[in-house]
Amino acid sequence: MSEKQQWEAIANHSKFIELKRRKRNFLFSWWIISTIYYLLLPVISGYFPEAFRVKVIGPINFGYLFILSQFVMAIGVAIYYAHVANKTFDRLTKQLLEALQ
Amino acid sequence: MKKRIAALTVALSLSMFGAAAVCAQAPATAQAPPAAASATAAAPQAAAPAAAAATQSAAPAAGVAVKAATAPVKGGAAPAKITPNRGITIGMFALIIAVTMGVVVWAAKKTQTASDFYTAGGGITGFQNGWAIAGDYMSAASFLGMSGLISLYGIDGFMYAVGPMFSFIAILLVIAEPCRNAGKYTLGDILSFRSSPKVVRGVAALSTVTVSIFYLIAQMVGAGKLMQMLLNIPYRVSVVGVGALMVAYVVFGGMKATTWVQIIKASLLMGATTVLCLLVAIKAGFNPVGFFTDVVSNSAIQEHVRMNVLKDVIAKPGVDYGQRFLEPGLFLKNPLDQISLGLAWALGAAGLPHILMRFFTVPSAKDARKSIIVALFLNSSFFFMISVIGFGAALYLTPQAISAVDKGGNMATLLLAQHMGGGAGSLGGDIFLAFICAVAFATILAVVSGLVLAASAAIAHDVYVNIIKDGKADQQLQVKVARITSLFVGTSAIVMGLMAEKENVVALVALAFAVAASGNFPVIMFSLFWRKFNTAGIVSGLVVGTISALALVMVSPVMTYPKKIAADAKKVVETLEKKQAGGAVLAEKEVQALEKSRTEYVKNKDGKSMVGLDAPIFPLKNPGIVSVPLGFLAAFFGCLLFRERRAEEMFDEIDVRQNTGIGIAKAADH
Repeated sequence: MSEKQQWEAIANHSKFIELKRRKRNFLFSWWIISTIYYLLLPVISGYFPEAFRVKVIGPINFGYLFILSQFVMAIGVAIYYAHVANKTFDRLTKQLLEALQ
Repeated sequence: MKKRIAALTVALSLSMFGAAAVCAQAPATAQAPPAAASATAAAPQAAAPAAAAATQSAAPAAGVAVKAATAPVKGGAAPAKITPNRGITIGMFALIIAVTMGVVVWAAKKTQTASDFYTAGGGITGFQNGWAIAGDYMSAASFLGMSGLISLYGIDGFMYAVGPMFSFIAILLVIAEPCRNAGKYTLGDILSFRSSPKVVRGVAALSTVTVSIFYLIAQMVGAGKLMQMLLNIPYRVSVVGVGALMVAYVVFGGMKATTWVQIIKASLLMGATTVLCLLVAIKAGFNPVGFFTDVVSNSAIQEHVRMNVLKDVIAKPGVDYGQRFLEPGLFLKNPLDQISLGLAWALGAAGLPHILMRFFTVPSAKDARKSIIVALFLNSSFFFMISVIGFGAALYLTPQAISAVDKGGNMATLLLAQHMGGGAGSLGGDIFLAFICAVAFATILAVVSGLVLAASAAIAHDVYVNIIKDGKADQQLQVKVARITSLFVGTSAIVMGLMAEKENVVALVALAFAVAASGNFPVIMFSLFWRKFNTAGIVSGLVVGTISALALVMVSPVMTYPKKIAADAKKVVETLEKKQAGGAVLAEKEVQALEKSRTEYVKNKDGKSMVGLDAPIFPLKNPGIVSVPLGFLAAFFGCLLFRERRAEEMFDEIDVRQNTGIGIAKAADH
């Protein structure tokens, strides 16, 4: 088998197709969701500044809490991704490597 | 050879120390900062670029001190100035230089092959790499500029911290692991995988060098200005000194030294930030609601917002000027510009060559993942603490006192350190201030080294080894070429830094980011994820993305427009002349302002911007919102115009590699 055919064989392996599909679905959907949430910050602060002025606790307003929520969101996505990658993606990759041997 | 390297490094560090000592003896007054006694009318215009620099920046110290002359002084008081204790400060600088030089000597012994030089032989752990990546983000601009911005403009400054923090998400999810699996040393390696290698490597190298050099010049200028302001070390001496150290780190120690210098600096910076933040928290009794209640009811902050920011001479009824400090819109005026900047952050950081290069220093994709998560944690806490420091500086020092030292607020962190340490002149204040200054110095050194390495790798590995030598060069030759290239890149950066002293470096930072987001990011994504993508797509994407970003920045408000400066100066002249004509006697300060504005008007009235414009054509400071889609479209259509069978056939290979890491050992060997 030529090198090209070897790569092709792996690419068509059912385990690889499953790994790739699950990875893409997960990564791109979370990337898009988090990016939309992130871009809400300049959109709200620029076009709807009144929303940011609403006081929540004492002088602390929604704007401040929304900025903090961005930090929470980013860390949350990162931890969730690490969890899924360690549990699912790494396991599928290992299974694929075993199946190939 | 080893001995020679060690001897050279020691000699270099000694000479640096000598240079610093000479400066120490120079009378502190010799370099009295120019008293920029411009009238208040001109002040906001001048202050804006400095702050904008701090904000746009990925990392650069560009913002710091760009426009940082001492601010106009109100009421004829002596100019406010921050004066670190030179003895203690220079001692701490020497300590940092000594420690990092020790690292270089150690790293130099272990740097034998090209892989050692570019990627530390893949021997950095995920945790260490996380600290190094975090260090790339913790720049003097974020450490000094962002807290300053918060101390002067409140929550708008805090909003700026979200971009750098969020930029890790794109890197984590779609860039780091695939690049680690598919790449070797440079951007060119990833892009040329299944396309015509020579053409693509050439274009990728050009783009990498462009981005890195823009960034580097901004850093060098920032370093020079910062050292000048803090220690009265002449601009030229600081640029040459910082440059010499940077060259030594990279030439002798390669990636290993660069990474460890970055780790040391990140730990120092995190330590300093944590202590400062804790001191503020203790003072506020660990009560966030009470802290912010104090902030909004502080009369100095209220007056600052009313008079200096909103310019309401008479308080408008119903406006709570203290609360206004916690509401958006004091600094950021154009929403579209914010979205554009946000886009540049979200995508640009993932396309920066010196960040990309760090993924290759860890042994596996799993470590690359871990490093980004560690970096994200570190940076989120860093930026959050910076916001506490910024608000703390506003509350405990007052914005007036901060802007009296530097109009852009860049000295807020330093002033707070001095204040918290026991105040100016006290031993505690001196030591804490000196420590923070030394950390700022280490920050610049670490960031510039990474940039020099990335640019050198593109020239030595992509252009020399793979284009000129067809990939046939033995390890010894590769390392030698890499070292010579680093020396050359470093020296050029010093020369350009010296020439750019009076230039507006803010534009350079905007450029580096815009080019990374519009040129590099689309082609990296398509290369990794789209079967049909090919040479034509890479070249058109990189070229169109880069050129559109460059062109838009060139005609944007970031550039200097002499006619606008002249118009502002004319306004000042007219106001003051009218006052004079009305029979009022001008104060000494106003007379000086009048003179200065007159000369400024004459000097600038017939000037044009760098590309010959009177006023900006493109309304936004950040081109991302236009240039990123252009980059994507060009890559997409360029690729469809020419079909390349080989690229499509080889997609299976890159697809398997980037998803599974199969073949990664092979990629690291050859």
